[in-house]
Amino acid sequence: MADSPVTKHDPKGSDLLESPSPQQQKQMESAYANMRRKMAMQEIGRKIKHKIMVLSGKGGVGKSTVSTGLALSLAQQGHTVGILDIDITGPNVPKMMGLDGKRLHVEQGRIHPAQGHLGVKVISMAFLLEDEDTPVVWRGPIKLGAIQQFIGDVEWGQLDYLVIDFPPGTSDEPLTVAQSLPDIDGMVIVTTPQDVALLDSRKSITFSESLKVPVLGVVENMSGYTIAGLTTPETSVEVAGPGGKKHRVTSDKDGKFSVTLDIFKQGGGKSTAEEFGVPFLGELPFDPGFVRGGDDGVHRIVSEPDGASAIAFAKVVEAIKSQIGTSSSQGLEII
Amino acid sequence: MSEIPQLIRLERNDTDMDLSYADGSKFTVTYDDLRFTCPCAKCSPERNDDESAKSLRREVESLPAEKPKVRTIGKYALAFDWVKGCSAGIYRFERLWALANGQDPDGGKPYVHGAW
Ligand SMILES: Nc1ncnc2c1ncn2[C@@H]1O[C@H](COP(=O)(O)OP(=O)(O)O)[C@@H](O)[C@H]1O
Ligand SMILES: [Mg+2]
Repeated sequence: MADSPVTKHDPKGSDLLESPSPQQQKQMESAYANMRRKMAMQEIGRKIKHKIMVLSGKGGVGKSTVSTGLALSLAQQGHTVGILDIDITGPNVPKMMGLDGKRLHVEQGRIHPAQGHLGVKVISMAFLLEDEDTPVVWRGPIKLGAIQQFIGDVEWGQLDYLVIDFPPGTSDEPLTVAQSLPDIDGMVIVTTPQDVALLDSRKSITFSESLKVPVLGVVENMSGYTIAGLTTPETSVEVAGPGGKKHRVTSDKDGKFSVTLDIFKQGGGKSTAEEFGVPFLGELPFDPGFVRGGDDGVHRIVSEPDGASAIAFAKVVEAIKSQIGTSSSQGLEII
Repeated sequence: MSEIPQLIRLERNDTDMDLSYADGSKFTVTYDDLRFTCPCAKCSPERNDDESAKSLRREVESLPAEKPKVRTIGKYALAFDWVKGCSAGIYRFERLWALANGQDPDGGKPYVHGAW
């Protein structure tokens, strides 16, 4: 009986004092760490009122611009907001939040977020990178483990909203997050009016059904570009848009006029939303200020809090709030 | 999205559920119909051709009778959790309304996997 594992449970306890092998010790430690992390995730889940995932079918459609814009717009309205950037393929949230070059701040085993514009708390995969221009090539399990750690070990404190910026496409990350973080309110899908981007956002919608995280709606980014000008009052002006398309407007009594040009085709996000029966959250204009802001680290919403883009963002935020607020399934009696 | 009346009551019976709407209309949807029309990416393509649709139907009908757990999804949908069989589908209220009214919830359109 000496070799039997039963000996370990000898009621006399003679073998209980025997110290576990290094391997057992390691297993116990990792099991303990996992349990602690799980509890921490539950705790974090409770402390964060709303969790919103931001996804897109492909890269470059403005997912990070929208994530940061939503976070800042919510912060503008007085909410406490965090943003978690787990886009390993190109974590550019810190740049947009004026936190370029920040490194991960760890204290007593807990990760502390950096504070960006308007007090928005930021955690980004970029904080782990030695050199931002070298993309991380992490194999699946390591990557997913890192994400779980990122969720379980971050000291967010109390938050009204956590916005999560994902890599483009239907990758593993959203599933990992959806499984680790309880009660995600839903996902916002960012698209541009181009057909290719639309096609991909449709994939995202089907994807959401398999994740069991609801689609809060579709945002159409880089929707139209508005130009404004001044001429003689009440005269007709002709503006040539992309593709030589002519736009005719009449200036007002002060001589001001403005035309919104379709950089791509407008309205595609709306029709995707309609076709799939998911909410359409609104359009964000094409605004070169976003590109400048991304480069010099001052987000458009911060540099121009009353500008057209900030107003457009506020509208999208309202639409999201109405989705996650009192639901129309409220008042539904399920017996 | 056309306007549909608000679902105010869902009562689960052993093999079907009763749906009551704000306009006073009432319907019964069988769990077999509900499960056959699962909108998830795995079940949907099965309904594209008659042969696989029939086998999906048979599969659904052979499942043991059970009352599902019902979850609300965001503002616009319900999901049904079953002990056996597929629980992945998110049923928009429009879909449930179509089902209740005996219409094809897919609107006669075939499902193409990730490639519209
Ligand atoms: N509405 C917009 N108007 C003008 N430029 C934009 C807009 N949205 C995004 N951009 C620019 O497009 C580029 C890609 O945006 P980004 O948010 O990094 O996309 P993603 O995160 O989807 O890869 C950036 O240079 C960004 O400044
Ligand atoms: Mg990005």
